[in-house]
Amino acid sequence: MNLTRFRSWLKWIAKGQRLESEMEAEVRFHLESYAADLVRQGLSQQEAMRRARIEFGGIESHKDAMRASVGVRWWGELGSDMRHGLRLLRKNTGFAAVAILTLALGVGANTAIFSIVNAVLLRSLPFPEPDRLVKIFFNNPGTGVHGVLYSVPELDDLRNRAGVFEYVTGTERGSVNLTGGSRPERLEMLVSSPNYFSMLGATPQIGRLFGPPDFTPGFAPSVVISDSLWRRNFAAHRNVLGQTIRLDNDPYTIVGVLPPDFRNPGRTNSHDIEVWLASGFTAASDPEPTRGARAFPSAMGRLKPGMTLQQAQARLTAMAVEIRHDFPTDYPSENKWMIEIQPLQEALVGNIRPMLLVLQAAVILLVFIVSLNIANLLLARASGWQQEMAVRSAMGASRGRIARQMLTESLLLSLMGGAAGVALAVAMLKFMPRFIPSSIPRLNEVSVDWPVLAFALLISLLTGLVFGLAPAIHSTRADLSVATREGGRGSGYGVKTDRLRNSLAVAEMAIAAVLMIGAGLLLRTFRDLLKENPGFNPTQVVTARVNLPFPSDPSEDPYRTIVKQSAFYRELGHQLSAIPGVELAGFVSNLPAAEVGFTFALGIEDRPSNSGDDLRAKDFLVSPDYFKVMQAPLVRGRFFTEADEDGKPRVAIIDESTARRYWPDRDPLGRRLRMGTGAWMTIVGIVKDIKQDGLDVDAVPHIYVSIYQEFDPAEGYVFRDFSVALRTSLATSALEPQIRHQVQSVDPTLPVYDVASMNELLDRSLASRRFSAQLVGGFAGVALLVASIGIYGVLAYMVGQRSREIGLRMALGASRTDILKLIVTRGVVLSIIGIIAGVIFSVSTASMMASQLYGVRPHDPVVFLAVPLLLFVIAVLASYIPAWRATKVDPMLALREA
Amino acid sequence: MGKQIDLLQGTLDMLILKAVSLGPLHGYGVLLRIQQISGQQLEIQQGSLYPALYRLEHQGWIASEWGESDNNRKAKFYSLTATGRRQLHSETEKWNRMASLIASILRTTPEEI
Repeated sequence: MNLTRFRSWLKWIAKGQRLESEMEAEVRFHLESYAADLVRQGLSQQEAMRRARIEFGGIESHKDAMRASVGVRWWGELGSDMRHGLRLLRKNTGFAAVAILTLALGVGANTAIFSIVNAVLLRSLPFPEPDRLVKIFFNNPGTGVHGVLYSVPELDDLRNRAGVFEYVTGTERGSVNLTGGSRPERLEMLVSSPNYFSMLGATPQIGRLFGPPDFTPGFAPSVVISDSLWRRNFAAHRNVLGQTIRLDNDPYTIVGVLPPDFRNPGRTNSHDIEVWLASGFTAASDPEPTRGARAFPSAMGRLKPGMTLQQAQARLTAMAVEIRHDFPTDYPSENKWMIEIQPLQEALVGNIRPMLLVLQAAVILLVFIVSLNIANLLLARASGWQQEMAVRSAMGASRGRIARQMLTESLLLSLMGGAAGVALAVAMLKFMPRFIPSSIPRLNEVSVDWPVLAFALLISLLTGLVFGLAPAIHSTRADLSVATREGGRGSGYGVKTDRLRNSLAVAEMAIAAVLMIGAGLLLRTFRDLLKENPGFNPTQVVTARVNLPFPSDPSEDPYRTIVKQSAFYRELGHQLSAIPGVELAGFVSNLPAAEVGFTFALGIEDRPSNSGDDLRAKDFLVSPDYFKVMQAPLVRGRFFTEADEDGKPRVAIIDESTARRYWPDRDPLGRRLRMGTGAWMTIVGIVKDIKQDGLDVDAVPHIYVSIYQEFDPAEGYVFRDFSVALRTSLATSALEPQIRHQVQSVDPTLPVYDVASMNELLDRSLASRRFSAQLVGGFAGVALLVASIGIYGVLAYMVGQRSREIGLRMALGASRTDILKLIVTRGVVLSIIGIIAGVIFSVSTASMMASQLYGVRPHDPVVFLAVPLLLFVIAVLASYIPAWRATKVDPMLALREA
Repeated sequence: MGKQIDLLQGTLDMLILKAVSLGPLHGYGVLLRIQQISGQQLEIQQGSLYPALYRLEHQGWIASEWGESDNNRKAKFYSLTATGRRQLHSETEKWNRMASLIASILRTTPEEI
């Protein structure tokens, strides 16, 4: 279509109504002019008009040809098809309601899930040129350790020696106490190299971000704050710039406020980062910047323009080899120390991708089953029209035209369902944040935007095509002579249509089986996790988090020495145990299933391969009463006592799996180990394994250290965050103010936050599994319902169509049981075929779900037996109703009708 | 009207272009002009004129405008566009070549083979 024609076509489309009347006027003018000429030749007015009409030919068909000339005929037909479709839907509101409702559910679920997928997996990070941002990992593939810490010289190598980065920034997350306000507050903090914001390409809302004055060896005196902190604590006043705030007692000057949509590209914790500090990581308070002082957890970089990921990786691999060669003592050869980069977006969402993809697959199956079901309903209804269609095609309507008409109605239906679905998705997203686990990154970006709407439209149109095409094609296959001869008795399209309807029902059953098996596996995983023994008794334990400040300025540090810290813990323990209703109080550096502890190289005395990184353990500081509070059983040896303090022999407690792993044939009690290059500690006790990293994580070796003894895995590393654990019969809400009061009576600058029962914490650690299990379970339930409607529909239709045959059979002596058996067998055969197909499909694809399962194999026999059985029972029930109705056929009535 | 000849397939477009090339005409006027030029010898079904007019306008060969007819009524007038003139020219040439070719074929006598 060239431009002239396209413009002319557009003109018609745009001004359709006016051009239609112009066409009318033009034809009238012609007729009247001709009639006038005929009158002049002597004919009567009436006769002249009659002749004019005859000689002009069929006015309507000429008009149609005129429309066709400019290619707008189908447009007009579309309008009339739509009116026809709407009329049909209005006439059959029950059908329309079921179709639109189920579609809305299918499209809505798809849209909601896709909006999460879109925000989390697809949309680029909200920074300029996000493709150039990478996360940098240091790995020891030789010993299978991913993500070792790095040191300042290594950071410098990346900046100066590698030549692939425009910026490299080290980051370290932590939390600080904000004091000076009405009450102390604990804030999430990010310490980074000063080029952090330049690397991300961020701009401030007001003030400035880090710049040249902030390039200092230690902490820069500037702080950048988030929009939320600005609004909450400074009433969004511009005069915040230049104000001093105290973070962990150190004074910092606020230099800038970030825009509301800025977020650190990292994992979403319970709270977003609200203060950003810059540091050169080389001040007196930092570890000596040697290669071996690996204390920094995380680094990001921006590749130079034009540098591809592969080029950069190749250069970094080569550089790592050079560095290993240059500093053999810092990089033991068996570690095969390596630098690896990953696109920042991938690094951010990598571990959440499988779960989201499983959810998206589940909702796509759901909408597919919904559309198959509507296809089945439409097919049943379409066979009622067979006579009408036959008459229409006998009158000359083309097959394409009839098919188009039916397709228009289907698309109309799917668009209405789609619109309702989008509305439903918007509503779902409103209240979904309460159910979506907050560990999913970038959740704040989830919204229904154009790509999401486009996806919803696509899904709607595709489903409309799926369920519209089958009846449309079949309506055009109607055999004219048969249909007209059979007259009013709508007897279906015979064997072919039956076969189509049956296969639709089978497909529905198969998809329902796939969804149910997936849901079964996820639910079983979840249920097993709920029953998992955490290694302690979580009921009647209330916890709260507290941070001891860690100022850079030693003179501002009230907790400078372990002696002062010990005194604090003893005093606080005393105060907390005095709360009426509290039996016992304990302290721990990291609560089970709530906080990720740090992993350190474990040194074991008398162990030949004592090279550092191949032995790793997580360590936890605990007070003497902690294990008693948690009721964690002691296997052998003893717990810590008040005497295990500074100046006494250093002691450690290990868990059972650590004992089994490193001292398989010896008694570990009395043996010595150390964290990194720290002091040697003697093992005095063995406890049962505690699910420290979450119920769904297998144990890494855990080492427990007395909170009263200096902890020095690496020079200068200090634990200052701790949690309170209380064994009590009181409720969390009742205890919270008392805990805060007691903590602040010891030190009024300490914030108390995240007060929760231990059971809540365990529960929260399963949030993401609960989310996917419940969601997929819900989808599977809907699928089961829809599929049983499918089976029911096919049989009910069959009973209606074959009532004469049934009557005849009964008249010839068939018993009601025979009839019942006849119909139910049909349903059972269909569902068994569907179930078998679904099981085969699941068996071949279940391994894709393996990453979502814990403690349940992808081919779990229980699920693979229970689900088909359940489906079978449901199918029998769905078949029984129409079968029972068939037995109510009155043979006399059925025969008379024939 | 005397004995009439049925219009050859595909020639109606050419005749319309020719008719409006002599000056703007409304649909009925086009019909009258063709009949007048042909000496009332051509049979055109009146209604079929209009789809052809619409097609030609759609292709951009003629343009239309509402104006006033001789008897002071509103009517849609068609006129030839520049591309339409080129089209008429090439169609005429093609027709003439074809006509003379067909004529020479039909004139052929047995001796000439």
